[in-house]
Order: sequence, then C-alpha cells, then structure tokens
Amino acid sequence: MADIAYLEDCARHIRRDVVEMVYRTGDGHPSPSFSVADIIAALYFHCMRIDPDRPNWEDRDRFVLSKGHACPALYSALARKGYYSVDELTTLRYLHTNLQGHPYQPKTVGLDATTGSLGNGVSIGLGMALAGRIHHKDYRVYVVTGDGELGEGLIWEAAMGAGHLKVSNLTVIIDNNNYQSGGTVEEISGPYPIAEKWAAFGWDTQTVDGHDISKIIEAVEHARRVEDRPSVIIAKTTKGQGLSFMVGDNSWHKRVYTDEEYTQAMMELGGAT
Amino acid sequence: MSVTIDSTRVGFRDGLIDLAEKRDDIVFVSTDSLKVVKGEPFLERWPERVLELGISEQNGVGVCAGLASSGLTPYICTYAGFLTMRACEQMRTFVGYPGLKVRFVGANGGLYGGNREGVSHQFIEDIGLLRTIPGFTVLCPADGDQVRQAIVASVDVDGPVYIRIGSGKEEKVFPTGTPFPLGKVRIMDEYGDDVALFANGFVLNRVSEAARILNERGIGATVVEVGTVKPLDTEGIKAVLAKTGCGVSIEDHTVIGGLGSAIAELIAEESPASLVRLGLQDTYGESGFPDELLDEYGMSVNDIASGAERAIHKKKQG
Repeated sequence: MADIAYLEDCARHIRRDVVEMVYRTGDGHPSPSFSVADIIAALYFHCMRIDPDRPNWEDRDRFVLSKGHACPALYSALARKGYYSVDELTTLRYLHTNLQGHPYQPKTVGLDATTGSLGNGVSIGLGMALAGRIHHKDYRVYVVTGDGELGEGLIWEAAMGAGHLKVSNLTVIIDNNNYQSGGTVEEISGPYPIAEKWAAFGWDTQTVDGHDISKIIEAVEHARRVEDRPSVIIAKTTKGQGLSFMVGDNSWHKRVYTDEEYTQAMMELGGAT
Repeated sequence: MSVTIDSTRVGFRDGLIDLAEKRDDIVFVSTDSLKVVKGEPFLERWPERVLELGISEQNGVGVCAGLASSGLTPYICTYAGFLTMRACEQMRTFVGYPGLKVRFVGANGGLYGGNREGVSHQFIEDIGLLRTIPGFTVLCPADGDQVRQAIVASVDVDGPVYIRIGSGKEEKVFPTGTPFPLGKVRIMDEYGDDVALFANGFVLNRVSEAARILNERGIGATVVEVGTVKPLDTEGIKAVLAKTGCGVSIEDHTVIGGLGSAIAELIAEESPASLVRLGLQDTYGESGFPDELLDEYGMSVNDIASGAERAIHKKKQG
C-alpha cells in the first residue's frame, strides 16, 4: 500500500527545492517543474524499482524526462532519494555543476537519459524498453513528456514504432498542463484529442488527475498489467500547481522569484521538515 | 581495364555478421533499410537482434541512444543524409553529447554513391557535418571489404562512429583481407615527393591512375588514403607534406568541411604547404552514372593530374 501522505510530502519537498534552485541559481523553469512534481514523486518514491546505491543496476526501472526543462523537479527527487547530496541542488546551471540546465546523463548520478530538446524522450525510452526485451529483463521504462511537446513529429514516429512492436514495458506519462511556452496548447498547437491519437497508434490509454498521487499510482499499476501494448497516461495537471501566484500565470514557464515571491512561496509550501 | 565490383553495402552487412558471430551486443536498427544492405542473412540468423522501425530516422537514432545506454552496440544504416541531416540533432545531442556507442552507416555517400538517384539521394555534406560534432569518429573506407574491415576494427571505439558507404556498385581498391588502418593514413603509391594526393572512398582508383599518369610526365606523386577523416592523422599527413610541400585533396564531397578542409586547417596551423582542393565546388550534383558524375564535377583523372600540377606550380611560386 502506498503511503499517500508521505508521497504528498515528497512532492511538497520537490516543489520547495524547485523554488530554492530557481531562486538561488537565478534561472530555470519553475511552473513546468511544479506540474510534474506529483508524477515524479509517485514514480521515484513509490512505483519505480530503483536502488540509489546501484545507479547503473541493469534491472532497474528507467526514467526519461522528455520535457527536460522540468529537470529541477527531477534533480530534487534524485537528491532526496539519495543519489547525491541535497546541498548540490543549488549548483544548478552554474559552471562545472553536475546539474546541467537540461539533463545530461553522464554528469548526474541516477539520471538515465540525456534530454532537453523536445520530442526525443519517447524514442530513447523505446530503445531502452527494446533493450530490456533483447536482454530478457523485466524492468519498465517511464517517459514523461509535455503536452506542447506533442507538436514534435518525432513523438508520433515513436508512438507508431512502439505500438507496432507492442512494447509493453514502456509507459509514457503526458504532463497535460494545457500550456506551452507561448500560451495554451489549444492556441499554439492543437494537440487534442490526445488519448484518441495514442489509441489509434495501438497504445493503452488512461486519463487521470495528475495531482492525485493515488490515481497516478493506480494508473501506473494498471499500465504494468497491460501485456500486449505500450501504455500512455494522460495526466491532467495545472502549470504551477502548489503556488497560488504561479497558477494561471504562464510567465512562470521561465521566470525567477523575487525575494518577496521567494518568501511567499516558502510560506505557502510549508516547512522544510 | 577490367573492374571488380566490391559492394560497400554488402561489406557492411558482412562486417556485422562477423561481429555478431563473436559477440551478443550487436543490434541492427533498420528504418526500412534492411533490404538496402541485403541484410536478410543477418535477419535469418539473429532475428531478435534486428529492430525494424519503419521509415523514421529520427526515431531510429533515439532508439539507438536508448539501446546503447542499456549496454547494446546498435548499428543504424540508411541513406547518409537521412541520418546526418534529418537526424543530425539526435546524432549530436542524444548520442554524441553523452558519448554513446552508436554506429551510423550512411549509404549513397557522394555523387558516386547517389549517382542516378539525383540530389535528394546524393549526400555530399555528411562528412563535413559530422566533423563539426564533438566526439564522432568519421570513416570513409574505399571498397566493400574495407567497409567490412572498418566495421570490425571500430566496434570498440568509444563514442559514436560514422561509416560512409555507397550504392553497392563500388570498385575494388584493396585486396580482400587488407586491414583497415583505423585512425591512420595509408600510403598507397609512392612515385616521388613532388606532390601528395590525399583522398578517400570511391575516388581512390582514379587517384592512383592520375599518379601513374603524372609519373609518365615526370612528376612523382605520393597517394595517401585518409580513410579516417576524424580524428585526423595529423602526424601522418604532416610527415608527407614535409616531403612534398604541396598536396591535392580529392573527395566525393563538397570541398567545404570535409577532407580538403581538414587538411587545409592543418596546413594553415601547423604545416605550411600549398593545396588544391578537388570535390564539389559549393554546388549540388545531378543524376548520372557514377564515373560520369565524378568526371563532370571536377574529379576526373585529368582534373586530378592537372590539380597536382597546379599545386606544384603554387609551391614553386612560394
């Protein structure tokens, strides 16, 4: 049984870390990191078979953050999971840091894939999943994409390929926060209907509340039981979820907190323990 | 003169079979390109090691990144430009940058490789593009067996490797079984020290013929195969230039960014010499027969010989 209160607290710590990182480093993407925080908390602190003492363990589940700009949330999860020190988080984006502006696998312990330019994660995850098939391993591969990112044609190349090959150890979670850099996804790129598109490529589809950790876990467990096709979970999320002044203000896609905003954020997000 | 054909496409396939017989990490990633390289014998023997992804090159390269990061050594082969242009970003950011051991085999290299297909299937920029990307090893073997040798020789090279192949109608250059000199230049003919002829790939036989004709004219040329364009064997090239003081580069590629550029950079920084660069002079090709195209675009035997004479003339002018 999942300890939902504990996982919600993990997500809260991730959001606090994101604020801390963006504030201290003076750069980064806060609200895309907030919308994905509950998904990352559910995966790293409950769903995934991982061992921080063995970051290269061959049987581990893999995670690919296709929307790589949300990496502050992932870096926080990896630190709090014990792959490296939490103190390292505020080195984000500084020269010689292990925490590059977008994920760079060789430098960051616990990271499974280099990502950043949008649209590439599903293919990389598909390769990892196919390697599992070749090696007769039972690990699973999780890929998180954005919804604006669905405008990239490569996503659909990978969707067709994975569906055709019936790669059932691959789960894609779409952080459907309804915004991309320039506005709402309806205004900019028109990805809807999303589930029907993936279903047409042969994927099992589910749509859940992406901020309800118990629902995320249920969906991931369902995907695990689907044996004849890949799975996609459309997680309905809110960009900036968790901070009152970020919700509904897309300027937080990439913006730095002022001293006052930082203080308010830390107050809203609660204590460090 | 009788010509023996030694298909570079089959050479790739046979190299892959050589490797798969000895190791279990070899995977062939096809973007509907298995038949292009007559890969059926590989498929029959190792069906679980062939991943057919359909016509989706960017996806293919991303899949290779995932495979390589999971301990496999994937070979992806399709037309050179569909890799180095269409999937250039994937090759750079998701394979080159993390230093993954993915092997790219680009078919229809050059006018000779693309020949009658025309410009959309003739790739004259592949080597230049990849030279700019950190960490890539870039190989341009001469014939089918050399491709086979290069595939085997480069399997354990760190980071990504690119191997240029052609249409499958290449002339034999080296005796079967001759090792591919990975990372080193190879002196093919040594008539004298008047001029060096630097070349690689499917133009080598005509370069050798030009050297023979030059010799008849009393000009001693040294023919140097530069089968590894990156990392460049700078010491090997400098040693030749120290003797000749001038050179000609001959490449079935645009003269911007490829072998000629690499040698020009070396000359400018470390080894003063005069240089003439033969290849496509910042232009596209067109449909035609392979040899006809090389002749038309400035790489005929006469072009090479007169290029050598120009290089010597420039050297004498100082």
